[in-house]
Amino acid sequence: MLKCGMSGSQVKVFGKAIQALSRVSDELWLDPSEKGLALRSVNSCRSAYGCVLFSPVFFQHYQWSTSVKMNDNDSTSSNLNCKLGMKSILPIFRCLNSLERNVEKCKIFTRSDKCKVVIEFLCRHGIRRTHNVCFQESQPLQVIFEKNMCSNTLVIQPRVLAEAIVLFTSSQEEVTLAVTPLSVCLKSSSDEPVDVTSSVYSEMFVGPDEFDFFQIGVDSEITFCFKELKGILTFSEATHAPIAIHFDFPGKPMALSIDDMLLEANFILATLADEPSRASSPQSLCLSPKQKRSEPLSSNSEAGKNVTSKAPECILRKVAPKRLYPKETLTDVSALENCGSPIMKRANGDRSEVSESSVSDTEEVPGSPYLRKFSCMFFGAVSSNRQERFNHPFDGLATASDSEEDMNDGSFSTF
Amino acid sequence: MPHWAPVNLPAAFLLHSVTPGVSNMIAKLAKTCTLRISPDKLNFILSDKVANGGVSMWCELEQENFFSEFQMEGVSAENNEIYLELTSENLSRALKTAQNARALKIKLTNKHFPCLTVSIELLSVSNSSRIVTHDIPVRVIPRKLWKDLREPTVPDADVSIYLPVLKTMKSIVEKMKNISNHLIIEANLNGELNLKIETELVCVTTHFKDLGNPPSASEDASQDRNPGQMAEVRIDIRRLLQFLAGQQVNPTKAVCNIVSNKIVHFDLLHEDVSLQYFIPAFS
Repeated sequence: MLKCGMSGSQVKVFGKAIQALSRVSDELWLDPSEKGLALRSVNSCRSAYGCVLFSPVFFQHYQWSTSVKMNDNDSTSSNLNCKLGMKSILPIFRCLNSLERNVEKCKIFTRSDKCKVVIEFLCRHGIRRTHNVCFQESQPLQVIFEKNMCSNTLVIQPRVLAEAIVLFTSSQEEVTLAVTPLSVCLKSSSDEPVDVTSSVYSEMFVGPDEFDFFQIGVDSEITFCFKELKGILTFSEATHAPIAIHFDFPGKPMALSIDDMLLEANFILATLADEPSRASSPQSLCLSPKQKRSEPLSSNSEAGKNVTSKAPECILRKVAPKRLYPKETLTDVSALENCGSPIMKRANGDRSEVSESSVSDTEEVPGSPYLRKFSCMFFGAVSSNRQERFNHPFDGLATASDSEEDMNDGSFSTF
Repeated sequence: MPHWAPVNLPAAFLLHSVTPGVSNMIAKLAKTCTLRISPDKLNFILSDKVANGGVSMWCELEQENFFSEFQMEGVSAENNEIYLELTSENLSRALKTAQNARALKIKLTNKHFPCLTVSIELLSVSNSSRIVTHDIPVRVIPRKLWKDLREPTVPDADVSIYLPVLKTMKSIVEKMKNISNHLIIEANLNGELNLKIETELVCVTTHFKDLGNPPSASEDASQDRNPGQMAEVRIDIRRLLQFLAGQQVNPTKAVCNIVSNKIVHFDLLHEDVSLQYFIPAFS
């Protein structure tokens, strides 16, 4: 159950967050908790994830509670598992400048009896506009990613990035960030086969002194999708906060984040892995033996070893789409549906079922000359019992064994 | 400064200036065009192929008006020219980032394939220099095809007339495009120009008066012709619209030459850039 209110200028920031998340996917989770209201979005091929968490102090008022359902002899408390279509919610937050001017107060609340979110705008001249948006019951996903453990961190003012963005045409889907301790270069991805007539190769060098924070532990060149970068950039311009970029080596996900007193935004993107490296490298993480697929590779055998030694960061999974973002065709959807939608399910009892997801084998293009491997994020289902989660941080993860000794003490952050 | 790749093409040239306006205009007029480089001029050329609907374009600029440094070397001493084919939008986009550049260099390079490398030095707020490079792929046109790319001969016009404000013309033609695919452009030596469309249901004509006629080159021709008599050409309306859409700024001089039922020739001068655009009669 959610009930919150904000002013016109706060609506603008809220709307910008939704717009940024719309670049990630067509669906949005509304996930309120005691930490605040989180908006989450994951793309269909699981290579991009966005989450914007608005803290309770962002709002004029914020109330949240779990709803208690009486179920036979048991009462289980559940979160608001609310998934909205972007098509429904994005038009409501269009024309943000005019919303900022005209809206005096905006209230968002959920109706416990029906699956509806009500967004009410109290505007000037006594006009009240109410939107009722139906939602689908769906457990949100979150990414487990330790951004502070990344060797490379850059913090940059959005204006600087905005100047770089202009260089690249919208037809270029991927962009490469190459760093050394002395320089940072943003350039067109050179992996794609060059079409002589149309593609311009552009690069921009930015000196270390342009960054608010510059720490490069390892020389690296990562390639990621351009679309999400643009999304977070427009959002950061609205919040006037600098963007932090956390990354390591190619193949490992990168994080773009904005941290401000009132909100925290994190966009975790997959990066292209270098071709020669095998996905089942020692860094791959354990996967649940409960999962239905026989893949990935050797992870299962390594699972027992790895879980204790390393904090979970990401799963490297062999996938072979030709591009980072295969065109979303029917096969994608059906492939994901065939997973048995583990994402949607909640396990009975205390443990939440892992939603392991990645582009399935059906994506493999046999004989494709450009086999790409990229890492997928490891998703954990958001447990409704937060307290329990704090005690057993790995409940959200699949672990190789059920025994308690295997629990890692290492801390990690969930978004 | 980054080290430039060695060039082993017919020429190397170094330019130093900012010319986004011209490239924007060209990008609107032609998707792909030929850039001809000669010691004193640069030309953007579109030759009259069936694919263009027979439209051709010749745009010329004197290099000394734009560049502080210009070096080129053609194929040979007798053929001191370079012809490059490129996608116009790539160039205009690259030059757009040079709006507030401290320095701009354009160089013909060979990185895996021939490129026009545009190198821009931007000054950022924190006073540090940022270097941006764009490698625009180009195709070097071999000498045997140069004959198709010569400057078109200006036809003897039946009527020459100064054009009205191009923006006005454009908004009118834009509306007319919804009614018909063809348009008749006609003018006389009394400074009158008409744009006409005719369909089964409706005829629409827009009349422009008092436009003025440039002094005729040949005295005899103008004496013989009845000043009120219209010379007309029926053309594809989309070609005219494309031409007008490329004119963001009203030119210094704009003349329209009509050869009855053959061709309409637009001759514009934008400050230091001359543009000629030919639209043939619709057959």
